[in-house]
Amino acid sequence: MEFDKKSLLKLGKLARISISDDKLNNLSQDLNSILEFVDQLKEIRTDQVDPTSNSLNQKLEVRDDKVENKNSTEDVLENAPEKEMNFFVVPKVIE
Amino acid sequence: MKDSYTLKSLATLLENNKISSKELTSEYLKNIERGKELNCYNTVSKEKALIDAEKSDERRKNQNLRSKFDGIPIGIKDLFCTKGVTTTASSKILSNFVPNYESTVTQKCDDAGLISLGKLNCDEFAMGSTNKTSFFGPVMNPWKSVNSNNKLVPGGSSGGSAAAVSGDLCVASLGTDTGGSIRQPASFTGTVGLKPSYGRVSRWGIVAFASSLDQAGPITKTVEDAAIFLDIISGHDEKDSTSSVNPKENYYENLNPDIKGMKIGIPKEFRSDKLPASTQKSWDECADLLKTNGAEILDISLPYTMSALPAYYIIAPAEASSNLARYDGVRYGLRVKGNNLIDMYEKTRSEGFGDEVKRRILIGTYVLSSGYYDAYYIKAQKIRSLIKSDYVEAFKKVDAILTPSTPSTAFEIANEPSDPVQNYLNDIFTVPVNLAGLPGISIPFTNDENNLPIGLQLITNSFEEQKLLNVARNIEKTINYSETPEKWWLK
Repeated sequence: MEFDKKSLLKLGKLARISISDDKLNNLSQDLNSILEFVDQLKEIRTDQVDPTSNSLNQKLEVRDDKVENKNSTEDVLENAPEKEMNFFVVPKVIE
Repeated sequence: MKDSYTLKSLATLLENNKISSKELTSEYLKNIERGKELNCYNTVSKEKALIDAEKSDERRKNQNLRSKFDGIPIGIKDLFCTKGVTTTASSKILSNFVPNYESTVTQKCDDAGLISLGKLNCDEFAMGSTNKTSFFGPVMNPWKSVNSNNKLVPGGSSGGSAAAVSGDLCVASLGTDTGGSIRQPASFTGTVGLKPSYGRVSRWGIVAFASSLDQAGPITKTVEDAAIFLDIISGHDEKDSTSSVNPKENYYENLNPDIKGMKIGIPKEFRSDKLPASTQKSWDECADLLKTNGAEILDISLPYTMSALPAYYIIAPAEASSNLARYDGVRYGLRVKGNNLIDMYEKTRSEGFGDEVKRRILIGTYVLSSGYYDAYYIKAQKIRSLIKSDYVEAFKKVDAILTPSTPSTAFEIANEPSDPVQNYLNDIFTVPVNLAGLPGISIPFTNDENNLPIGLQLITNSFEEQKLLNVARNIEKTINYSETPEKWWLK
């Protein structure tokens, strides 16, 4: 697969990154170069291999289900670009 | 300032009241001021550092020390969340972010009485090998080639952390390593960089890049200091579910440079015609040295080595695209106004992220998207299994593996290749270690014909940090590398 203008804009939509027209050419070149590089893995046979998502051979630990008073509303909202009462404010959403 | 300052030597100076923490902190703050041109620090916590130093001196007076290293100033990569101190990940999107919590690692530093001088520059979200992707501009390597006056990259992503230690803008620093981001800059700056086993050090409170690969570690002047610093920051943390329950050891106390009878592997797949002759020579000399000191040198094979980098450039961007989805302009960080919610997301992310971060998010989104997930993401995870089993097999035969840290010494800032893939090759020797979750260390061995440091990498099996440090200490003790850069920025 090659990244052309159309597929790149679609990818930008999926990743929520707008891509300006003047960047499209360079970006598609870069991404094609990366894709070409990683495509060399296709040569390797892996039908009998299980995937590794994490190198640590450890079961997830279970902790006591205790109530803790962390993350107050104030703390959580402290860095919000826009807030009102106890809420994050975002542009109006109408479906 | 004496170049011989180390965590170890400063602990003794403080203990014998030869210097106070406040004097020491002021001295380093002065060095930081005079070394501004290196661009190592994103934030200097001048007032806080001096207050903390006074408190440390007070504790010393009252014999109420938090540790032997109480009062020693360090630098922190700007990827660790620090309560009340701006934490940017060197990105525009977080340039106004002031966390109201402290990362586990920096909390442990504080618990030991270490003083933070400030936050160190790095590649944006730790993505890069030159420190050029930082929103706050590149870091300069304190080293310069004897043949040129041009400025060199310090490596990355922990470029500020490495340059600051090398240029005496702190005695030791914290970095993070996802594909080589501690070891590669350490190699470029003549410092010691340790990436612990995955799970040895808590990731809680560190801005996430690729969660299955990220690991924090120290950059120091000596292997002894690396052991000291690892003692301070390692250990289980219930706030990080991937933090290991394996008990930590007393790395410094148990440091033993005796390597008699140990087996050291030289992997043939790391050999390359493209390797500079001086690096190849150092690698050979180091193997000879270990042999002279009583180790047995064995040729080994890690057949899937060359597949590590392409697998990494699927896995790391995939995890990054997921981790960086949180930067949406709603809860923290930059917000750019848009016509509607989606427009606001897109504008915020487009303006807030730099080019390299965007490239990786887009590649990550692509390899995780419907229709490509199996062909890329799962495929790369299968390759990861093969790489891991390479090392499992190797460690049945050898105690440690010796390789070069990087395929070149530091290069000129202006000479960075424009093709991203060419840049990715910087990490060809370090990436497999992250994919396999192993500990690795880069130590300076000698300088090349341009008087630039050459780093060598040692790798051991998971959670064998003690063995790793022991072999590294053996080399350090034998070669006694003591080169320091000429401080051109003081002129």
